[in-house]
Amino acid sequence: VSAALHFRLRTIETTADGREIVRDKDLPGPELTIGRSPENAVHLPDLAVEPHHARLVAADGRVRVEALGTLGFTADGSSRRNASIDLATGAELRFGAYTIGVGQALDGAVLLTVRSAANKSDIAAPDEKRSFTLAGALPGKRVTSWLLALVVLAAFLAWPVYNALNRPANGTVKGDAAWSSGPLSLAHHGLEAKCEACHAKPFEPVQDKACLTCHKTVHDHAPGVRMAGAREAPGAGGQLLQRVAHAFGKPGPGACSDCHTEHEGAGAMPATPQKFCAGCHGTLAARLSDTKLGNAADFGSAHPQFRATVTRAPGNPTLTRVSLDGQPREANGLAFPHKLHLDQAGGARRMAASMGEAARLECGGCHRPTADGVRFLPIDMERDCESCHSLVYDRVGSTFRTLRHGDIEQMRADLAASDRRAEPIVTGRRRPGEFAASGRYFSRFSAPASGAARISQALSRDGVCGECHTPAVRDGRMSVTPVVQPERYMVNGWFDHRPHRQETCASCHAAHQSSSADDVLLPGVKTCRNCHLGEGAASADVPSSCAMCHSYHPTVAAPPKQGRRVAGLAG
Amino acid sequence: MASRPVRDGRGRVPTPAKLTDHEGFLRHARFRWLKVAIVLALVSLAAYLAADVTSRPNGGTWIGYTLGTVGALLIVWLALLGVRKRAMTRGRWSLKAWTSAHVYLGLSLVVVATLHTGFQFGWNVHTLAYALMIVVIASGVYGISAYATLPASLSSNREEMTQGQMLDALAAIDRQLADAAQPLPQDEADMVRAVLEQSVFRQSLRSRLTGRYPRCATQVAVDAVRPTDPEHIRLEGLLAKRKALLDKVRRHLRLKGLLEIWLYIHVPLTFALLAALAAHIVSVFFYW
Repeated sequence: VSAALHFRLRTIETTADGREIVRDKDLPGPELTIGRSPENAVHLPDLAVEPHHARLVAADGRVRVEALGTLGFTADGSSRRNASIDLATGAELRFGAYTIGVGQALDGAVLLTVRSAANKSDIAAPDEKRSFTLAGALPGKRVTSWLLALVVLAAFLAWPVYNALNRPANGTVKGDAAWSSGPLSLAHHGLEAKCEACHAKPFEPVQDKACLTCHKTVHDHAPGVRMAGAREAPGAGGQLLQRVAHAFGKPGPGACSDCHTEHEGAGAMPATPQKFCAGCHGTLAARLSDTKLGNAADFGSAHPQFRATVTRAPGNPTLTRVSLDGQPREANGLAFPHKLHLDQAGGARRMAASMGEAARLECGGCHRPTADGVRFLPIDMERDCESCHSLVYDRVGSTFRTLRHGDIEQMRADLAASDRRAEPIVTGRRRPGEFAASGRYFSRFSAPASGAARISQALSRDGVCGECHTPAVRDGRMSVTPVVQPERYMVNGWFDHRPHRQETCASCHAAHQSSSADDVLLPGVKTCRNCHLGEGAASADVPSSCAMCHSYHPTVAAPPKQGRRVAGLAG
Repeated sequence: MASRPVRDGRGRVPTPAKLTDHEGFLRHARFRWLKVAIVLALVSLAAYLAADVTSRPNGGTWIGYTLGTVGALLIVWLALLGVRKRAMTRGRWSLKAWTSAHVYLGLSLVVVATLHTGFQFGWNVHTLAYALMIVVIASGVYGISAYATLPASLSSNREEMTQGQMLDALAAIDRQLADAAQPLPQDEADMVRAVLEQSVFRQSLRSRLTGRYPRCATQVAVDAVRPTDPEHIRLEGLLAKRKALLDKVRRHLRLKGLLEIWLYIHVPLTFALLAALAAHIVSVFFYW
């Protein structure tokens, strides 16, 4: 019925200037094939098209399309291997880069409109200059540049500045962590994320009052007038620096931050270098003519002899500072020399050795360290002396009566009441009858002894008290000089025994040679210099800055706390 | 470039035959800027060692501020080369002189800025600026070495062929390949289509810079095609020609890429550096 059906092939090509050239070609017969091979009726020179790709058969107003090879085709956008197209509605087939519109011409022929889908511009030669450079392979330098710059500016400048300027009262500034030039010292670790605690105002250097917020009780080093007079005038360069610093609002000289530098790492806050001290103390006498302090600039080369705080007169509690040069003496009220105890050949030593108690006569037998190990507990008679220096004055049966140490009136009373003998005059042989301890007529008779004589005997230089104490007369009566045991000899510096534990006592204290109780057995600066020299002394065992022994903020002879001291923190 | 002979210090042409009076920016004015840079570095080092600064050396001492100011001014001036190079002039302030100074003063910045840090580094904007600066300088050093060595390889690889000619040759081979593949069965046609469709340029940066293309369709086709009949003999010949040309183009791309890549670090990181420098300076004085 539809033998008249035939195909009309219409190829449309687009010229360079966009004009379309249309060519029509009638193909006889109701059947044709499409493929890359030239023998196909519809020849599509496209490598995506199979040599014999599909067969079209027209019949009964429809066109049947079937794939011949392994590849399918696209009909109206969907991939197919078979399709039946109603010519009344038509369809669009696609093979590789070609589209074939299927429809019906006015004369009844099946119209196949072939277009190359590949637009000319798609396969145009690539932009030569750009393709050969990296410009095509990487994002543009200009874009990246501005983007990076903006990101850095936003994250590290704009955001923290905005937060700093809009900080709520008592709030912290967000995003400023990257501004920190280094971790804070351990003591200030709690302030790590609170920059504004110290950096209170933008573009204003850290002020002393920021430090004093917490360090409320810190002591001034000296009155401001004295400090100003003591300070060495800076050279021309230093003056220029000071003027520049002041122009930019830096506080000082003498500001907290001049000595205490922060953001130097999460350890202990670095000790203040000795030059800060030497700036005044190196030539202090030249500017403060009335100063009692010797010039000190470097422990190894310019430091005066130590001056110990001692009692000069027996029984006088007034303390005086005396130089350790020239064998200073102290009136501590004690009588015994150290050598007496420590001499290996001495009697005391031998006696102790014979009792198996030689260790009691080593230094540590009497001098016991404090709990923190910094210094030593005062000598305690009952604990440290009495095991040898017995105060027993009486015996009742198996019980010994002992004088109470440290209370002279009590001693007098005890001795005054002791004028009887503990043992009966008559001992040994028993008398017949009821004369026995358990008998009716028994009495202990003691030899008469004078209590007053015993008291004066005890308090004499050769008596039991005089063994250790200097006898004295007080209020017209015999007594002893009160003992003064200084807790600290060095009031302006401080010494910590603990780090020196590996040393023997004798390496610093010449106690073995001391034949007088008045000797001040402290080592001089020369002894310390065996190990300690100035801050910059590379050859020293322990290069030592001023801050190792001295505190800038004096706490009037307060004992140093264990470990580092924190200046002026309440509590 | 530096590899080329130049006149000696007295203006004479050194032996044997030197026909060009070209003087690279490295040797400009008898290494004038190299000398200036060395003096700057030595003065900075001497000042750093001589300065008796409080606590420990860092950017906040007077020598630190001085070195920092010199360094910051240098960075800004060095960055201005990007502006300066767009206006060519001759003589003492010629672009060549400027470039010479850019290179040597940029190198001396390593000394100045490192001393400015006082060797204190951390995870902060200050060290960020320093790190960016070091990367920028390192990329610049690479750039100089690339300019000194790569152009010779580039021209020997091209063998008098221009880039346009390379593209034309490739297009000619591709047209012949498309033609030669027409009679082939579909699997082989697909293989050739893959060759034709694979762009020379739209490849990864890594491939460009290393010259290694593990998914090269041309190589796949070269390996697969056997000269069994006249059609395949022709195909094989065309594929071999294409591969040889492709290798040349890729070498060209690689050398050009190596010549250019440092600028993609040098320039953007310079901008980042300028921003970090601004943040560094402002933050230091903001939290003084």
